[in-house]
Amino acid sequence: MLPVVVVHGGAGHIPKERAENSTSGVCSAVRLGYLVLQEGGSSMDAVVEAVVQLENSPYFNAGCGSVLNVKGEVEMDAIVMDGKTLDSGAVSAVRNIANPIQLARLVMDKTSHACLTAEGASKFARSMGVPEVPQESLITEYSRMRWKKNLAPEANPVECQMGKMGTVGAVAVDKEGNVACATSTGGMLNKMEGRVGDTPCIGSGGYADNLSGAVSTTGHGETIMKVMLARLILFHMEQGQSAEAASDLGLAYMKSRLGGLGGVVTVDPRGNWAARFSSQQMSWAAAQNDTLHYGLYTGEHFRRSIRDTH
Amino acid sequence: MSAVLVVHGGAWAIPDELAKASVDGVKAAARKGFVVLRDDGRALEAVEAAVKALEDNMVFNAGHGATLNVDGEVELDAIIMDGRTLNCGAVSSVKNIPNPVSLARAVMEKTSHVMLTGRGANLFAESVGFSTVTTHALVSEFERKEWECHKTYAAGVLEDFNTQWTHDTVGAVAVDSSGNVACATSTGGIRNKMVGRVGDSSIIGCGAYADNLSGAVSCTGHGESILKVTLAKLILSHVEQGKSVADASDLALQYMGERVQGAGGVITVSPSGKWAATFTTQRMAWAAAENDVLWSGLDPNERKKENLN
Repeated sequence: MLPVVVVHGGAGHIPKERAENSTSGVCSAVRLGYLVLQEGGSSMDAVVEAVVQLENSPYFNAGCGSVLNVKGEVEMDAIVMDGKTLDSGAVSAVRNIANPIQLARLVMDKTSHACLTAEGASKFARSMGVPEVPQESLITEYSRMRWKKNLAPEANPVECQMGKMGTVGAVAVDKEGNVACATSTGGMLNKMEGRVGDTPCIGSGGYADNLSGAVSTTGHGETIMKVMLARLILFHMEQGQSAEAASDLGLAYMKSRLGGLGGVVTVDPRGNWAARFSSQQMSWAAAQNDTLHYGLYTGEHFRRSIRDTH
Repeated sequence: MSAVLVVHGGAWAIPDELAKASVDGVKAAARKGFVVLRDDGRALEAVEAAVKALEDNMVFNAGHGATLNVDGEVELDAIIMDGRTLNCGAVSSVKNIPNPVSLARAVMEKTSHVMLTGRGANLFAESVGFSTVTTHALVSEFERKEWECHKTYAAGVLEDFNTQWTHDTVGAVAVDSSGNVACATSTGGIRNKMVGRVGDSSIIGCGAYADNLSGAVSCTGHGESILKVTLAKLILSHVEQGKSVADASDLALQYMGERVQGAGGVITVSPSGKWAATFTTQRMAWAAAENDVLWSGLDPNERKKENLN
């Protein structure tokens, strides 16, 4: 059963022309994460490796490819959490870096704090020697087109966002049974400057505890925060629910109480995993026992050998 | 159903010279908040009024009297949550705002977001007409001296906390006569924190949480530990499992001590008006108003009773 890694590339409606890239993106990210685990790496190393890949891909709303805020700028949020110690690191509204997930990990490893925000996060990045990148390198034609479209007076960014909420994330269990999670996002389309969503908030965008499991979430951030989705799912697992049943319970509660949609990837410390969503689609992939699992639509679950790269 | 309001002024080793001012401060804030409830105001309005009173009081580490970060700047965090709708507003690392709790409420009521941070939070404050004050106006002589002293010795934050010489968060929880619960928490954070450090206070489910189906909590203590165990939500999950607010609060604080070696304090109310004020630090200044009685305390197991009128 161990090791295992599961990734998601965001829940929502994924346009047809982007579906294939989205699926191949999560598959290659999960392969890299799995390789780390097979070579004896920690679950923390694996989730960071997988999320870095997704941040670097222009097809996901994280790192390069992030959505733009109302001013046409990129502000990103990320979190990592280590289930062994409950240590976590997060950054919110950070600019001009390629891989916020690595900065979140540095916050965890190199400071006595758990979250750094905005200018302070950038200042810390500079002190750690993280290279500054021009904002243009994080912006794609697609993200600029969507931003412009949503500036129109009749546009409804919330509605449009419900269409595609492409936060990325990963959860993993290593050979030692340690769990970890990582989540990274450009946030919500045409958000206000300084808006912080669920992603960097511990218990909302992600949570990991060796005693119960790990979760990374995606969906409408404000709704995820109000129910603390990641923590809620793990409370259900502490009460004896399976990873899959707990994920469905958490998502169903969010929908019935607040009308919010989203998706999650969940693992328990024994290696049972789930990729569940209440939105139309979520691109996800998992690797376990040398098998690659992936899907995009509800009920879809493809399997193939991890060595088969086509 | 009778309304209840509970406030805290931070859980830490409050020195004797600040003891009286701290207890007087929480008692005055509890009175202020309770007046709102007595006039049929909502729990949400009552917790905002109580926390504003604490923010305006130089004795507490929130609004006026906040601690300074490593650069000698004041950066404030706050959150407010309405248990009826689960609506929530928060600000982190905001500058020059005397009442961050009111700005958090504006985020909740005037935007489609839950949380705004840094310059974005300040730009929003400006756009909705919040007046600003100079950093100097928010800093007490006590904190300025502490900062200078820390700067000289360059002590680490965690070490500081372990010596118990930190200065903490304020908060309030309330239930109104309709059975709606609400909570609010506000802080200047940890003394000598890094620029942009966000602690537990502004993070939903950590510094505070409110849900009409279970209750409301406001937390104080070592922020990074509170984050690790998502303290406010943990307490309410125990309540959902059938524990009393007092037992749920004690259990969660005990767990935080055992699992991540963190100390703190909480105030909790249930929708039926049961309440608790408990802590694992040396002291926590707290006060609770219900019916005609004002309760207050500072040391463990201390519980003074006086007439509210």
